[in-house]
Amino acid sequence: MIKNGILTVSTFVSAVLFPWPLTALLALVASFFEPLVPLAAGLFADTLYYAPQAGALPTFTLYGLLLSIIAVLVRGQLRASIMR
Amino acid sequence: MKRTFLARRNALLSATRISWGIIALAFAILMLLTRLLAPNLFLHAFTPAFRIANTIAAKSHTFFASFGDTAALAVRNEQLAGENAALATENQALLEKEAGLNRLMGSSGSQKIAASAILAGVVARPPESPYDTLVVAAGSSAGVTLGMEAFGEGGVPLGVVSSVTADFSRVTLFSAPHMITHGWIGHAGLPLSILGAGAGALQASLSRSADVVVGDTVFAPGPGMLPIGSVVRIDSDPSSPGITLLIKPKVNPFSLTWVELLDVGAALRNVFSVATSTP
Repeated sequence: MIKNGILTVSTFVSAVLFPWPLTALLALVASFFEPLVPLAAGLFADTLYYAPQAGALPTFTLYGLLLSIIAVLVRGQLRASIMR
Repeated sequence: MKRTFLARRNALLSATRISWGIIALAFAILMLLTRLLAPNLFLHAFTPAFRIANTIAAKSHTFFASFGDTAALAVRNEQLAGENAALATENQALLEKEAGLNRLMGSSGSQKIAASAILAGVVARPPESPYDTLVVAAGSSAGVTLGMEAFGEGGVPLGVVSSVTADFSRVTLFSAPHMITHGWIGHAGLPLSILGAGAGALQASLSRSADVVVGDTVFAPGPGMLPIGSVVRIDSDPSSPGITLLIKPKVNPFSLTWVELLDVGAALRNVFSVATSTP
């Protein structure tokens, strides 16, 4: 539980303080334990930096959403496998 | 009769513990709402964090640079010192030439343009902002308006103001993905469309017959033809009718500490109206 909290907070702190590849890595690691963290981190990064003229789409939110969906699906598969 | 209750389990939220993911998502949505409803307050709240980030970036750069080859750094330093001295001399000669022209023609347009420039400190830069945008500490209260152009040291054009709050503005750099700038290349002034490639890089496509070499300067419109970068590589695919130019910006956007914001269009219109008006 504490590990999940530290990973989640680190991802958010990284979005503000450190280059985005580190944030992406932390979000990927956090997704193994908390599937919603990539989506939240992507939304937070776009909230900080996204400017409509910079690109057509809020890339980080979309990538975060994709990663979260994958994480939820993988976790669902793993749980189903354990129940068998 | 004994009854068994089975708690309904949810992958994301259970009664026994609150998911950190839910908390994180709620926080992100709260921040998004704050930015949408009170953008100025949002940037005020995050400015100290951005400043810490800038300090960390500068310190880490110095730390990693200390592992570099000392001999190579000394050679590079000597070379840059030589170039700097040559540029200072050239700059002095140009200033004298400009002063001579001003004496001949009266007050210059460039002085009028410079007078309307707004100096703004950079709060957040590309290493933290993945979209090649700058957050600068000057907003509508300082006279910043949408569409103003941002200039770096030496009057190098950097980008365009894309959003403004009371105390802050966002500048979209020419290197931002999908950003198209129309400019020229070389002394012949061959027109080209410069496309932002992200991470401070620019690129452009030209026909194979274009006479372009590595090192050619790329210009953007402003008060005159202003150099924004130089060609560092030319990619030529035999199966393609064109060539792709990779352009390195004149000013490194990762180390900017201030920019000048200038309403180039309005300032130029004023200059022309003054210059062409007859008493």
